Amino acid sequence: MASKKQGSATRALVVEDIKVDCVILLRMLRKLNCEATVAHNGKEAVDLFLEGKTFDIVFFDKDMPLMTGPEAVTKIRSMGATDVKMVGVSADYGGMEAFMRAGADMFVPKPMKLETLDSMLQEVIGKKNTSG
Amino acid sequence: MDYSNLRRQIISMKKSLFDQGYLDEQFNQLEELQDDSSPNFVEEVVALFFKDSSRLLTNIERALEKYPQDFYRLDSLAHQFKGSGSSIGALRMKNECSMFKAHCSDRNLEGCRRSLQKMKREHATLKQKLETYFQLLRQVGPRERAVNSWK
Repeated sequence: MASKKQGSATRALVVEDIKVDCVILLRMLRKLNCEATVAHNGKEAVDLFLEGKTFDIVFFDKDMPLMTGPEAVTKIRSMGATDVKMVGVSADYGGMEAFMRAGADMFVPKPMKLETLDSMLQEVIGKKNTSG
Repeated sequence: MDYSNLRRQIISMKKSLFDQGYLDEQFNQLEELQDDSSPNFVEEVVALFFKDSSRLLTNIERALEKYPQDFYRLDSLAHQFKGSGSSIGALRMKNECSMFKAHCSDRNLEGCRRSLQKMKREHATLKQKLETYFQLLRQVGPRERAVNSWK
């Protein structure tokens, strides 16, 4: 199970408008000792970055009101957030191309498995420990 | 209370839900997220799903009745349904959503209508079966539920 560097919990942002999916992913992240913040659409996510908030990893649903996941990825990357790991999530592989073209690091189809999430977080922690 | 008999009923019911294809491995994943700090997690998530999905089904039905049909919107609604259904392990519903999406892609209105009726039936059946399952679980109490011994 992903462990945290002492005094530095992994900070995750969940960008999801479907409550069920949001609740489940939040529960998984908390079980893996992550601090999780929620944005209900791409625009809210962009606003968080504009406010200067930083995250280690961001999970984007694809279809959301106001701004989609791929649109938010494009916008946030263009703001200079190149280090943060961005993960596209959707109900099937149909959204993968849009996410990868937008600049996401990876795509995971729903439902995300705890083991998959754990290995993603371990990678993020590993990078933080190397650079920190 | 005869707990061993109750446990047998619960295990049997869960096995039946899996064997008949109503649920898949994702449901087990949800149960693994349940613990003493969130002893009712699965039931709460499932209740949330049925609340949201009932609304989605109504929206899909209304969208089908409009003319001309907006197959892009119908596909989008079915996509949402498929996502949250798969998140709770609702296998039959997930599969029917895929069928619905395929009909949208073909702009097959009759296919969409038939598929919607199936989705509604699967939705109602799974809701009833899971309500019974959780009723049984409630009888054994939160501590036993959180132990995740129902595999």
